[in-house]
Amino acid sequence: MTVSVETRRSRVTVYAKSTAPSLTPVKPGKTHEFTALDHSMSRHSVHLVCYYRQAPTVTMTALKESLCDVLSYYPAMTGRLVKNEGDGCGEWMVKCNDAGVRMVDARADTTLDEFLATATDEEERQLAYWEDVGSDPYLWSPYCIQFTDFKDGSMAVGISCTHFHADPTCVAVFSRAWSETHRRALVTCPPFFHPWAFYPRKNPVPSSPHLSEKSTIPPPLHPPAMSSVTFAFSASSVRQCLADLQLSNLSPFDALASLLWLRISSYKRASLGTAQLTLAVDCRRRMSAPLPLGFYGNALHFFGVKADLSSGWIHIASELNRHVSGIKEDDVWSSVEWLHERSKEKAFQMYGPELTCLAWDNVPVYNAEFSPGAIPVHVGCRIGNAQGEGLVVIMAGAPGEGEEARTVIVTLPTDLTAQIYRDEAILKYRPKIMFSPNI
Amino acid sequence: MPAQPLPDFSTSVRLKYVKLGYQYLVNHFLTLLLIPMIATCVLELVRRGPEELISVYNSLDLDVIHILCSSFVIIFVLTVYYMSRPRPVYLVDYACFKPAPSCRVPFATFMEHTSMICEDPKSVQFQTRILERSGLGEETCLPPANHYIPPNPTMEAARAEAQLVIFSAIDDLIKKTGLQPKHIDILVVNCSLFSPTPSLSAMIVNKYKLRSNIKSFNLSGMGCSAGLLSIDLARDLLQVLPGSNALVISTEIITPNFYKGNRRDMLLPNCLFRMGAAAILLSNRRRDATRAKYRLLHVVRTHKGADDRAYRCVYQEEDSDGHCGISLSKDLMAIAGDALKSNITTIGPLVLPMSEQLLFFFTLVGRKLINPTLRPYIPDFKQAFEHFCIHAGGRAVIDELQKSLQLSAEHVEASRMTLHRFGNTSSSSLWYELNYIESKGRMKRGDRVWQIGFGSGFKCNSAVWKCLRTVKTPVDGPWAECIHRYPVDIPEIVKL
Repeated sequence: MTVSVETRRSRVTVYAKSTAPSLTPVKPGKTHEFTALDHSMSRHSVHLVCYYRQAPTVTMTALKESLCDVLSYYPAMTGRLVKNEGDGCGEWMVKCNDAGVRMVDARADTTLDEFLATATDEEERQLAYWEDVGSDPYLWSPYCIQFTDFKDGSMAVGISCTHFHADPTCVAVFSRAWSETHRRALVTCPPFFHPWAFYPRKNPVPSSPHLSEKSTIPPPLHPPAMSSVTFAFSASSVRQCLADLQLSNLSPFDALASLLWLRISSYKRASLGTAQLTLAVDCRRRMSAPLPLGFYGNALHFFGVKADLSSGWIHIASELNRHVSGIKEDDVWSSVEWLHERSKEKAFQMYGPELTCLAWDNVPVYNAEFSPGAIPVHVGCRIGNAQGEGLVVIMAGAPGEGEEARTVIVTLPTDLTAQIYRDEAILKYRPKIMFSPNI
Repeated sequence: MPAQPLPDFSTSVRLKYVKLGYQYLVNHFLTLLLIPMIATCVLELVRRGPEELISVYNSLDLDVIHILCSSFVIIFVLTVYYMSRPRPVYLVDYACFKPAPSCRVPFATFMEHTSMICEDPKSVQFQTRILERSGLGEETCLPPANHYIPPNPTMEAARAEAQLVIFSAIDDLIKKTGLQPKHIDILVVNCSLFSPTPSLSAMIVNKYKLRSNIKSFNLSGMGCSAGLLSIDLARDLLQVLPGSNALVISTEIITPNFYKGNRRDMLLPNCLFRMGAAAILLSNRRRDATRAKYRLLHVVRTHKGADDRAYRCVYQEEDSDGHCGISLSKDLMAIAGDALKSNITTIGPLVLPMSEQLLFFFTLVGRKLINPTLRPYIPDFKQAFEHFCIHAGGRAVIDELQKSLQLSAEHVEASRMTLHRFGNTSSSSLWYELNYIESKGRMKRGDRVWQIGFGSGFKCNSAVWKCLRTVKTPVDGPWAECIHRYPVDIPEIVKL
């Protein structure tokens, strides 16, 4: 796919900012406490963008009304950060003071199909407006929801939030609850506020060699400029991938994550050897007392996978499969307890600076139907502040493309991104390339 | 603890009974005089017997002409009396605008926006202090344009707010009363701060396709007391037009009036004014008397504009940076008290029972002739009215009136709760308060209501209504969903 050489002016314009209150006032004195996992993620942000075709009930005004409605169930979202005066976990907590979430109105000077076909990485970033915390956290909204109108009446809804409050699963479940409230249907995954979910066990064994190592890495002096590209693999492409691997027990995640790890590493250094990949996996369902999907907060487990890259793609894929299926609950707890011990200290970067991969394809993201039967045309997810060697996000693809379809968003230093989306080994499986950088 | 001397207690009880006896005697004086007289006459007639009565009648020697002339005179006098009585004005029903909860402005949101829009931290602090002590709650609503950072007060947005609040109120009223828009004879709209061309009354005529010979009026610039001025105008017109009805709309459009500057005396309206509107249907038709809720007894208007201080008390002007705002002077409460006193002096003789008027008269005579240091007697208005609707202009206004009229907490409850739930909705606040009293099931047939409005000018206007039929709960209106939560305890200062 050819991309114009000169940098094009962005077609997305933000023209108004406001605040959405919840419909019912919050009882005064309500607070929400963070877990150790929440505190560890405080340097990052989550940005989820869903694209919808034109529909009579999907208008900016109607969506704003239903947003106010669903916020009545999420008092933690409309609150503000205050210092944790008590001896609870970490430095911060949320005072549910009913301040509301920030809303941004924008318009895109093109139709939805045109945008999905030709938009750059920069333009997609502009669909999820985000402001980092300023001088006064008490006046800063941890959530920001952007509504972008396209020329043909289609709409893009961009939900941005600080990773402190919610992980990508939480944001996806919120957008689903919002869509159900909009349709006046029953909310299938109501929010579950339970800050004690990750409180250390009675006999804690705090230990996480992987995270200890990460915490000692000094922040880079000159973080490289990063850019992203999105690969949309259809079900047939993924099946082709799996067929080429010839192992029967591998999942689409194993295949795609290993392929990308191999190809990215091959561009970074000439000779391949043993390398480490950090994986982030949602562990809501992996606990013996499983947390409901509506659990509000962070439930990502970070761990390292070592593999010898020179042994070939099949070996790497099976190593990944072994590690991911072999996650032990004790490891999750140890890591949580290690984080709890140092929760009052400054958080370090979790996504990066080494190559990281977020395994998010087991979470359904295409079920936020604002209009009955009208699922999003496309869903994109980005993580903010993931500078360093790069981040690969593997998420479910559009249902219309098949059950094994996957969307892979690769964020790398700019010069690497330019090479990766022309890579023959990846292009062999004919992914649709979207939101490539503007170079 | 030493035993309290009983005589204190017993004298106050005795005094209470003396006062009650005096009131009963004076207020029912005529009745007490007439009943013995009628009883004596009847006894006398019965004693005399029918034959004696017939002989007395024959001795009068009346012929046909005498009888005809006397009947003619009596009929003539009665006709002149009935024709010269003012037409009764009935309030058939009214409806208030209920704002959507998505427009609500919690304190935290208001302060956040103010911090982001205002460059001067002292103004932000000042507005925080006002809001803390304002008596407003977390459910008051601002129009959509004011939710933007910074607010976006275009004319289109102001018209949109006007259409939203006014048309909602009128639609509600039409549903309640079955009113046909083509049958509206008089239309009076009052909105002080937004006056587009064509006027808001023309906007209503256009939307509801009212008749081409409608008498429409649009009052602008007349302040928060303009609601009662509209009622007065409608009443005067209903005296001239027989068999007519009048639609009165009271509202205040907030969108164009956000003050962007830093002058403290101009920042108060930003903090207190909220969205609201009321639509009232008045009629002078006899057939509406059976279904009307209230009858208008009196409207008393007091204008203190001749006094320079009162005239400049609420003044719209541009500040040194060119931002337009409404400045409220520091002696607002003193001037309001003064205006109220004038208003009371006029309305007192119209509504107070004879007992109170006599007491006031004697105290006045005593002060002038005998002893100038005698305390002036403040008539007890609680005997004239069962319900009070005091304009919810702010906590200070309600406190001041409660003190000067010696009202109990229950009397001012409607005003305080309206301020808490809806904020200062300017001229329509009196109708929200009336709706509160009805929603609480306190409005019974025969109850009298006193509505007091204050506004720029400086004006103090009063209206007195009499309830014609007991209002049954639940009442459909802006209080329908939240009345069970009220009254709430409003703290002196809400910590933000």
